Amino acid sequence: MAAWRGIVLAAVATSLWLCGPAAAQQVRQFALINQDGQAVTEASYAGRVRVMTFGYTWCPDICPTTLATIAAALDAVGTHAAEVVAIFVSVDPRRDTPQHLKDYVAAFHPRMVGLTGDDRAVAAAARAFNVRYAAQPAPAGDAMAYSVDHSAGIYVIDRKGRLAARIGHRESADDVAARIAAVVDKGE
Amino acid sequence: MRRRTLLAAVAAAAGLVSGARAGWAGDRRVQGLLIHPTPRPVPPLPLLGAEGETSLAAWSGRPLLLNLWASWCLPCVAELPALDRLHARAAAASPAVIALSLNRRGLDSVRATFDRLGIHRLDAFVSPSGKAGEILGAPVLPTTLLIDRAGREVARYVGAAEWDGDDAGALLQALAQDRAIGPEMAPAVAKMPATAP
Repeated sequence: MAAWRGIVLAAVATSLWLCGPAAAQQVRQFALINQDGQAVTEASYAGRVRVMTFGYTWCPDICPTTLATIAAALDAVGTHAAEVVAIFVSVDPRRDTPQHLKDYVAAFHPRMVGLTGDDRAVAAAARAFNVRYAAQPAPAGDAMAYSVDHSAGIYVIDRKGRLAARIGHRESADDVAARIAAVVDKGE
Repeated sequence: MRRRTLLAAVAAAAGLVSGARAGWAGDRRVQGLLIHPTPRPVPPLPLLGAEGETSLAAWSGRPLLLNLWASWCLPCVAELPALDRLHARAAAASPAVIALSLNRRGLDSVRATFDRLGIHRLDAFVSPSGKAGEILGAPVLPTTLLIDRAGREVARYVGAAEWDGDDAGALLQALAQDRAIGPEMAPAVAKMPATAP
């Protein structure tokens, strides 16, 4: 029981540390490929507020609705929408090719961006956001039917590429929109 | 056992999402048939169909199987053919089958998906606000609500099921006859295709 408490406390302490002011100030860097096959970095979106989430398109038995929430939030920010870009980063580059991501993100919102890359680039991007992920083999043994456990959450990044807010993936679209609007209004 | 508990606690504390079993670690258990101890009223739910805007009130007095799906959700797409078959053979007294898409590109995109899958009998419905999942408290897809003739949600099924199978038949019959739903009525889990349809 003591060990269990210790682990939970350590996890809480880690999450507090990750969200501290020092971590928030740093620019969250990445170098990935977008859904049109173009190389992009965080600088490609400079001057715009970004709403980012990490995940993968191949959900084996149930699928979270996080991207649908983000899409609804994008619509709800209204006049701010042109200043905001929604970005989905795949943690499954083996299956999530740019072409596949193009179809996938388009199903959510015409202005949603899908990013992928090689294993190293995706790992580096995930590290920059303290996102963890791990492929889990399928029980049946089909080599391509693996799933990917990954950190959930929605990241609001300010115009300079710094973390402005981390939102739980179960927040309502209106709440996500309010958090985005607050960062847009802040002007940074 | 103790080790598993520890691992689960660490995963939950870290907010890891399990794509394998559920949307996220904390909700791994919420797949399958969830029977509500007390039936829940269904919140007002705007729908857009071929005839324009409507609501569940259009089916007033009939039990319903309300399936939430999206074209980007592979397990949703995998169970649609079974829902189509169920809809085709549903008698007047059996639960009506409503497939509500959370796709945000309107009825045309739903019809395109239906055409691609060879689904010709289900009616296309979308959520005009795109918020049906939020309104119904369904953060993962597919989720299927079982609604009694009084308009109350008595149970829901999270995940893809063989809705036209014998197991589901017993469940739907109980719903149609206002009988209590039990865990033994859980429908069989739908078999997933090896590749995207």
